[in-house]
Amino acid sequence: MDKLLTPDPGLMIWTIVTFLCLLAILKKAAWGPLLGAIDARDYRLKEERLAAEKARSEAERIQRELEEKLAGVHAQSREMLAAAAKDGEALRAKLKAQAEADAEAIKQKTSAELAAEKNRLVAELRGHVADLSLLAAEKLIGKSMDEGVQKVVLDGFFKDLASSKAGTN
Amino acid sequence: MNFEHVLAHHLIDHKLFHFMVGPVDMGLSPLIVSMWLAGLLLTAFTAFAARSQTSAGRLTRGMVEPVILFLRDDNLKPLFGDHTDHFLPYFLTLFAFLLGLNLFGLVPFTAGTTSNIAIPAAMAVTTLFMIFAVGIKEQGLVSYFKHLAPSGIPWPVLIILFPIELIGIFAKCFSLCIRLFANMIAGHVVSLSFLFLIFVFAKMSHFVGAAAAPGAVGLALFAYLLDVLVAFLQAYIFMILTAVFVSMSVHPH
Repeated sequence: MDKLLTPDPGLMIWTIVTFLCLLAILKKAAWGPLLGAIDARDYRLKEERLAAEKARSEAERIQRELEEKLAGVHAQSREMLAAAAKDGEALRAKLKAQAEADAEAIKQKTSAELAAEKNRLVAELRGHVADLSLLAAEKLIGKSMDEGVQKVVLDGFFKDLASSKAGTN
Repeated sequence: MNFEHVLAHHLIDHKLFHFMVGPVDMGLSPLIVSMWLAGLLLTAFTAFAARSQTSAGRLTRGMVEPVILFLRDDNLKPLFGDHTDHFLPYFLTLFAFLLGLNLFGLVPFTAGTTSNIAIPAAMAVTTLFMIFAVGIKEQGLVSYFKHLAPSGIPWPVLIILFPIELIGIFAKCFSLCIRLFANMIAGHVVSLSFLFLIFVFAKMSHFVGAAAAPGAVGLALFAYLLDVLVAFLQAYIFMILTAVFVSMSVHPH
């Protein structure tokens, strides 16, 4: 059993030599490339994550901007609508006032014209009635009266007519 | 049949030829050849995993990478912090070498390298060297030995404590050696013991021996499978304890 527990120095030295050789070989042949690949992948993943985060924040920023813009556009459109409605109302009121004024003016003018026409027609009618009356009286009497008499007679006639008209009214 | 004789025949190295360098016989032996074969296989396997672009290479890489990441991120990083990458190749090689030797020793018709005390002892010596070398390199010769014992204690205590701490380092390495050696030889002892049951029973009667054979072989196989687990476990324990001891000399407090 002693031999089992007695280390052989030659074997020990060979073990250490083998281990050191293996350390150098594996470092070059295996661990270097493996760790390099792992690090490269980690780096790539980190980069991708950073890029994704950046893209996300950029997208969020753009979305925020668009929302702000949209809100601005909404407010502006509301303002414009309100202004248009106000303008329309003002225009309507103005047009209405103008139309009313025009209508009033036309009415005034028409009344005046009507009154004038009536007066003219009344005067004309008076003239015609006088002529006709005169003519009828001439025919009846058979002789012409003096113009001065005519006038007196006619004026008296019209006065009577006007007073009788006032009396009937 | 003598159990001790069989075990000794199975585990003790026999020089193929003698080559004396001073007092040391550097002649080759089956264990040395086995160790080299294990090393070659290990190199081929890891280099294949690292460099091959074939689907088999990717598969191998998929097996090796999680182990490396586990050792690096979960075990070595908490111990070494920013120095991890500097020490990583050493500890990866240590783990791979011991695992390779342990597993290679389980292959039938090969020699159980780590079951011979010389190889765990040699690995413990490398750990001892690492502890001192890294400590002296990181802290300086005087500072390293000054920090072996906690500072701020009275000098009479220091006289006792300093040798204890120094012996402690050697004891740690000695325990590393014994732990690996005992665990690995235990597998062989248990397997052989189960197989020997056949011969013990056969001494009573050949029929009893034949009847005991299936059970004994089954138990021996079970112990053998357990050895596969132990091979991984002991390689990991040796590596992680070495890492702890070395990290203690990197950061004295």
